[in-house]
Amino acid sequence: MAGREEYNFHKSAQDLINQFSVVIRTAHIHDTNNIAVTLAVDKLVKIINTQIRQENNINLTLKGEFFYSNDYRIRYSLEFLSNFDFLIGEFKKRELGSVIFNREVGPEDVKAFIQAFIVSASSETPYDSIREGVSGVGGISVDRLKKIVEEDFLDMRKMIKKTYFNAVSYSRGIINKIKSGEKVNIKKAKRIIESMVDHILEEEQILLGMTAIKNYDDYTYYHSVNVSILSIALGQRLGLSRKLLTELGMAALFHDIGKMEIPSEVLNKPTNFTDDDWAIIKKHPVWGVKALLKLKKLDDITIRAAVVAFEHHQHVDYSGYPRVRKRLELDLFSRIVCFADQYDAMTSARVYSRIPMSPDKALSIMMERYGTQLDPLLFKFFINMIGVFPIGTLVMLDSKELGLVYESNQLFLSRPRILIITDSKGKKVDSHVVDLAAKNADGEYLYSIIKTMDPGKYKINLAEYLL
Amino acid sequence: MENSEEIKAAKEIIQAFLRARKILRLYPLNNPIFIRTLEDCFGRFQNYFHYSDDLSLKIRQNEIYCNSDLIYYNTEKEDNIALFFFKDGLREISFKKDLSIDEMVEFLKIMSMDFDRELIDDDVVTMLWEKDFQNIQYIVDESYLEEDEDYEARAITEAKEHTSEQDDLLRAYEDAFNKEEIKEISIFPLTDNDLLQLSTEFEKDLRDKSGKLADILFEMLFMPDSMVDYTEVSRFLTSTVEYAIKNGDLQTVTDVLTEVKRISNDKNIAEEIKIRMKKIVSFAGSDPMISMVGELIDSGQNIDERIFGDFVGLLDRNAIEPFMKILGEIQSIHARKIVIDALIVLGPRDIVTLARGLNDTRWFVVRNVIYIFRKIGDKRALDYLLKTIKHGDIRVRKEVIRSLGEFGGDTVLKTLRECLYGPEAQVRSAALKALGNIASEAAKRIIIDEILDKTFKDKNFDEKKEYFEVLSHWKDEDVFNLLVRILKKRMCWGRTKKYENKACAAHGLGLIGNKEALRVLNKYVTARNKLLRGFASAAAKRIEHGR
Repeated sequence: MAGREEYNFHKSAQDLINQFSVVIRTAHIHDTNNIAVTLAVDKLVKIINTQIRQENNINLTLKGEFFYSNDYRIRYSLEFLSNFDFLIGEFKKRELGSVIFNREVGPEDVKAFIQAFIVSASSETPYDSIREGVSGVGGISVDRLKKIVEEDFLDMRKMIKKTYFNAVSYSRGIINKIKSGEKVNIKKAKRIIESMVDHILEEEQILLGMTAIKNYDDYTYYHSVNVSILSIALGQRLGLSRKLLTELGMAALFHDIGKMEIPSEVLNKPTNFTDDDWAIIKKHPVWGVKALLKLKKLDDITIRAAVVAFEHHQHVDYSGYPRVRKRLELDLFSRIVCFADQYDAMTSARVYSRIPMSPDKALSIMMERYGTQLDPLLFKFFINMIGVFPIGTLVMLDSKELGLVYESNQLFLSRPRILIITDSKGKKVDSHVVDLAAKNADGEYLYSIIKTMDPGKYKINLAEYLL
Repeated sequence: MENSEEIKAAKEIIQAFLRARKILRLYPLNNPIFIRTLEDCFGRFQNYFHYSDDLSLKIRQNEIYCNSDLIYYNTEKEDNIALFFFKDGLREISFKKDLSIDEMVEFLKIMSMDFDRELIDDDVVTMLWEKDFQNIQYIVDESYLEEDEDYEARAITEAKEHTSEQDDLLRAYEDAFNKEEIKEISIFPLTDNDLLQLSTEFEKDLRDKSGKLADILFEMLFMPDSMVDYTEVSRFLTSTVEYAIKNGDLQTVTDVLTEVKRISNDKNIAEEIKIRMKKIVSFAGSDPMISMVGELIDSGQNIDERIFGDFVGLLDRNAIEPFMKILGEIQSIHARKIVIDALIVLGPRDIVTLARGLNDTRWFVVRNVIYIFRKIGDKRALDYLLKTIKHGDIRVRKEVIRSLGEFGGDTVLKTLRECLYGPEAQVRSAALKALGNIASEAAKRIIIDEILDKTFKDKNFDEKKEYFEVLSHWKDEDVFNLLVRILKKRMCWGRTKKYENKACAAHGLGLIGNKEALRVLNKYVTARNKLLRGFASAAAKRIEHGR
């Protein structure tokens, strides 16, 4: 899917979630035969059947905190947030994972399903109750919510960690191989990127968390991998297909390949760069194109990577480098990589800047570049991805405990999951995770963030907590 | 009992895989054997799914297991499907009951690839990943991706080396109280307009990127300090041209060649750059490139003729030979027309090379080349054309005669006159028409001489008629008087032959359309001879009605 087709797909998928939510809310108040429910159901039927005619079937699935329609994650604008949130809650309550519409349905079919859905709330085994309720309904079936049990989750973390370090190790290896004129295995790079794409699609937060740890020595290699991950994650937000995400991940992984030509005494200079140093550094995009085009025979990926290598410092207002005679609109991938590159560079410890910038400080600098250096449309997606409280941010909760942002909450950006590191007196504790979206019986949030700080300033080692 | 049946069914699938792998490598998609093989394989799956909802195959280096039963064993390196999957890290493949035939076919196509021989940048796992099958799942051993086994452990140990100190944490805790509380959280809601804008971005992004790369390479060529040497950039541009042609993107090739020409014609650009640019044009017209162009136009894909015309116009004369080569290879009439048009544009740049096509062993190539010469209209071609007048194939000879007619000039008259005596009626007719086409006094004289020759009476009626038809093109007094004279002439030939000539003259007068002929023609509309009467009446009517 691409372009207008993709937009229409997401729009109708959003409409489906919205109307589904409206029907459930209405049916909570009224009997299913009430006119209000009937009208809402009619609208829902229309939406379902329109989609069925285009897609043959609809498989609406809840995975983690996201709905997927026929395996495509549904994007949503914030105006529909409450409906998404409500429906996710209702599904989870019933351990309902998927609703599948196999053919066009009538209002009576949907009403029967809604009835089963409402009734199931009071059952001890709600999922079984729904399944039984829809067993006689033609064209609609359900599937149980697939929970990620803690052990699986830990395995997943382990796997993601492995993928991450494989990527860094590969990145280090490839640069050394190119330098020594050895043959480079691009197949492997693709496999690594595919793994990362899969992880981003399934457990984005863990992989994003890996990019928050910046205190490694091999900045160049970690930076390439981090930029690749952040780019894939941003591309995923934009709704790029898996194939395009792979191309984007590859292009991002090699975006700085031209830097291997920069003499190490310049690259690893502990002091500020002189004008002469900058003159050399500014050549790396052109050297990058050269290196990539020599790497292998031209194909889609090499071309995209070369374009990104050339453009990632040009900026949307062309204030960057290299300077060109003819201004060409920057490639979408170049604009994406530019965000990832700037953010990761600013938040990383480098030879000439040992203390990394805090994520919120980096975001505020990027905010100043909104519309000049950085693409304004992508900026919205990027900031929503990184979150109001980026992973790794040091926070104080209203309980006076200190914690680190562990995972963003994509529905409620201000309510991430926090790894508590001190008690309410500032004493170091064995870390544990709290979910800021959790509420007490009165519907009030259990915790809220009241202050944010820079962990780097207090020598807090994120690796100790996030790895 | 059922278990053994299940294993038997699984073994049959493996056997079907092996067969399909061979067949898919040998036969085209629409071949009945190919289709039957796929159907058979799908049938085996259907059979298996009677026993279980999914078929899970565990892959080892030389073995494949279903559940814990060995269903395939091969220790050879060649044609070992266990090894085929194993070497790229695949450890388990599962097929679900809802497997569709399309999914199975795509899977078999991947299985049939020869990753060692074919120029494929992907491995089996990547190919499976890209297909994103709904009903085929697989487990991969990622250790294949490890460059350095201990890297992870080392990196983690190093990263965790410094643990956070209680004092630092306490300092952070105390500082927190002095910090301002968070009041407002800025979020950036996405609007429908944002999503629409995004979809426009996606549409733009669908465009091929080779054009963009070419633009970048041209920029690099003119970077102020010589960061890249010209040879290198021109080599990259050459690769871009190759890539674009391979992908049927003639627009990008045309854009590159246009820029190359602009650079070549710019007086302010260094000669060393220009030399390299010329090589790019030469490469675009080389044999491998034009062969790919041939495949493209012969594939039935819609080719924008304007873009193709621009592309051809930018090529150098070295493209003539490759185009002539593909002229004999392409299959479709449409593609042949495109190639002929290309050679009409390129031909004048090197007539000698084009003329080599006249020696081709295939009659249709020779005829096409003659046609190209005719369309080019270059007098230099005449010498070559005259040499083919005795070609073994009549279709070629006809085409040459037609061309000679279009070239005209005294040099061709002798040849055309000789052709009027040839053994084949079609050749004689073509030569006659060619003379008519030349429309010179000398050509007219030849036809008149032939008509007045005493042997003319021996020709059959249709041929005679054609002579008069061609002669009537001149419409001058000379011809008019000759026809009137023939019509009125009393002759002492045999009855039928006498009237044939007169009828033809009447027909010729009708074609000339001069009203003065009516007086003479009307005398013959009641002639006793049916042939003369008919032609005279028709001619008179034609003149009267001014047709």
